[in-house]
Amino acid sequence: MRLRAEYNVGPELKFLGNLDMMHLMERALRRAGIPYHLSEGFNPHIRLSMGTVLPVGIWGKHEYFDLDLAEMALQEFIDRLNEVLPPALTILDCQQIEENAPALMKIINTAEYTFVLRTGTTDLQSLTEEILTRDALLVQSRGKNKNIKKDLRPGLYQMNIDATEAYDMLSVMVSINEPLNIRYDELQDLFSEYGISAKDITDIFRQGNYIKEDQNFYSPLKKV
Amino acid sequence: MKDRLFRDILPRVEKPARYTGSEVNMIKKDWDSKSTKMVMAFPDVYEIGMSHIGCKILYGLVNETTDHLMERSFAPWPDMEALMREEDIPLYSLESFTPLNQFDVVGFSLQYELSITNVLNMLDLGRIPLRSAERSDFDPLVIAGGPVVFNPEPFAEFFDAFLLGDGEEVTVEFLDCVETNRHLERKELLLELAGIEGVYIPSLYSVSYHDDGTIKSREPQAEGTPLYVRKRLVKDLNSAYFPEYPIVPYLGIVHDRAVLEVMRGCQRACRFCHAGMVYRPVRERSVEVLARQAVEQLKNTGYDEISLASLSTLDYSGVEPLVKQLVGEYGDQGVGVSLPSLRVDAFSINLANEVQKVRKTTLTLAPEAGTQRLRDVINKNVSEDDLMQAAEAAFKSGWMGLKLYFMIGLPTETEADLDGIPELLKKVKSIGNRYSRRAVEIRASMACFVPKAHTPFQWQPQASIASLEDKRHYMIRQKMKNVKLSFHDSRTSYLEGIFARGDRRLGEVIYKAWQNGCKFDGWSEYFSFTSWMEAFDECQINPDFYIRERRRDELFPWDFIDIGVDKKYLWAENERAYRGILTPDCRQDDCVGCGVCPHFEFDLDVKGGC
Repeated sequence: MRLRAEYNVGPELKFLGNLDMMHLMERALRRAGIPYHLSEGFNPHIRLSMGTVLPVGIWGKHEYFDLDLAEMALQEFIDRLNEVLPPALTILDCQQIEENAPALMKIINTAEYTFVLRTGTTDLQSLTEEILTRDALLVQSRGKNKNIKKDLRPGLYQMNIDATEAYDMLSVMVSINEPLNIRYDELQDLFSEYGISAKDITDIFRQGNYIKEDQNFYSPLKKV
Repeated sequence: MKDRLFRDILPRVEKPARYTGSEVNMIKKDWDSKSTKMVMAFPDVYEIGMSHIGCKILYGLVNETTDHLMERSFAPWPDMEALMREEDIPLYSLESFTPLNQFDVVGFSLQYELSITNVLNMLDLGRIPLRSAERSDFDPLVIAGGPVVFNPEPFAEFFDAFLLGDGEEVTVEFLDCVETNRHLERKELLLELAGIEGVYIPSLYSVSYHDDGTIKSREPQAEGTPLYVRKRLVKDLNSAYFPEYPIVPYLGIVHDRAVLEVMRGCQRACRFCHAGMVYRPVRERSVEVLARQAVEQLKNTGYDEISLASLSTLDYSGVEPLVKQLVGEYGDQGVGVSLPSLRVDAFSINLANEVQKVRKTTLTLAPEAGTQRLRDVINKNVSEDDLMQAAEAAFKSGWMGLKLYFMIGLPTETEADLDGIPELLKKVKSIGNRYSRRAVEIRASMACFVPKAHTPFQWQPQASIASLEDKRHYMIRQKMKNVKLSFHDSRTSYLEGIFARGDRRLGEVIYKAWQNGCKFDGWSEYFSFTSWMEAFDECQINPDFYIRERRRDELFPWDFIDIGVDKKYLWAENERAYRGILTPDCRQDDCVGCGVCPHFEFDLDVKGGC
């Protein structure tokens, strides 16, 4: 069978690279005695495929992986894995998917990044209004081709503010992967033009990964 | 502090996961309720230190079997160090983020002579006075163990105590003694600790010198202080502690796999080999114990590879049944077995073939010298036939490359011995080309011979930098297709040699070198030979004094360290070297009379029974 799991990556693990995360998961699968399937070939490996890469320095509330394994009850899978995972990483949910369901990397096209700011950094209401009324939002690309200016505007779908006495939170729903990949550090560069410096940001996390269809955002567990 | 690190500091450094801790199987004990608090400090980066098997053993031993607490700390990479100094953050432990100076004991693992500058740097970052004499009752005890401390003298002034030999034996006793004598003043406490076998307290001795710079005498400063300090020895590895829940790092480390220690020591008697002498006698674990430890470690770590570690794993009497059992049990789960050190013969290669689950790339063998004559001098019991058979077995079964280790600057070496290396390489290559359709790749790595304390070659001179450079150029001139030669830095080897046979007067040089900015000296990008030479200059110490040939009757700085092997035996071996007489492995042949077994009342023990 094939399943898709949803998990969180707590702040304690935010410095792990993608390969580190994959090793962590593979080792946990072995410790838990999960009946995973191995690939064929000279150098067999666990048929595990991780969703979009969580950038180093960012923690995540809803991340995903797909795994091929022998028949197993879903709740048992969750329980056994959570028993051996570090406290900062928990499997939240999982669901069986079709053997030929498209890969996570192919379907996830949206991410929501949340920036935690010192209170009173700036007037977030007018900042979001100003940003969203622009026709183009050019920043220097931080991706593979660093020499180009990138227009973030077409991939900037929503901005939400959550202000409390202790902190201000700015959440941004953006396009990732193909055709427009917006990185969290490009958003940071954009904000810095509007008066939010790196010092004002006390934390960044990825709230979730979504599949955008028309104007709707679906969880990869809901829309397989 | 943890919050600040995670928020402000770590996002700005390379590989932040080096500094975060909280790995799977980490043990964090309650600070307030535990007796003596020790931090195991490794004077190199996380990825190196976490690969070290001795630290894994002591960490588990202290935390799982005693009421004491042991945490970990590693040398911060220079980018992190710079930030720590800028932001006024002390060096801390990864378990509880406690600054080093809050511990009762700070224990360094000395695996390599040149890591001493990192020790000083870590003490400084941990806010602990660098010299033993400068520390007060409120400072931690700074101690060290590991292979380097079999000649602790060059490092004497920085440590309050050295722990000699097998750490499983002495560490817990040391911590117990610290706990019981907590009320004592520092000096009294050190006297108490000196009573433990295997503990050497350098401040309790004074050394005087002859006019020629050699040692005249060593005198204990206090009554009841032993003249000789004997290393500690685990007699029975089967019943010795071995971790079943080793820490699983998040970050890729150098040896990222489960590990079994199949035996300790090696009795091949290579005359240049330090480890082969100081870790005598050979002790083995039984196949049953190892198989059980393999099950536990794999279950508790989730690793997909298990390595059989020792100085010479193919000499472990149970290697074949153990490998077959492990491959049989785990092969189809995608878990592999690895043999880190191969012996130069066909049996080894065939066994390696059996366990190799990935692509056959490069295999490594160590003939050490280019001619049979020189191999006999160093007692490397490898014949050209062995090597050719090993090469044939390797290439026949599909390996595409071979890496060979040699040493240059060995005693009695001539041009003919140097010429022997390329000749050997050509022969190996032609065997490869007979079996392979593509051209095989031969790589040869040339280390510089460094005479080490407690070995038969401890009397030998070390080749000068100039002479080693001549040899290097001589060899580079002989170009060969598809053969790559690489050379160790002769300047690094020079310094290693100075400290390997150095005395107390070098402490000042080390201090100066650290002040001159020396750190990570084992890393070519940070090694600064000029800074070291300036330090020698400032201290008016001639470094060449330490690499000279030694007189037979000379009193060595390390003579008071008793490893159980007779100095007479070492001298006899040095003499036999000149005559090219071989000394056999005492497990296969008769006792060679090194003295270690009677000295420790030990019966040679071969688990596989051969």
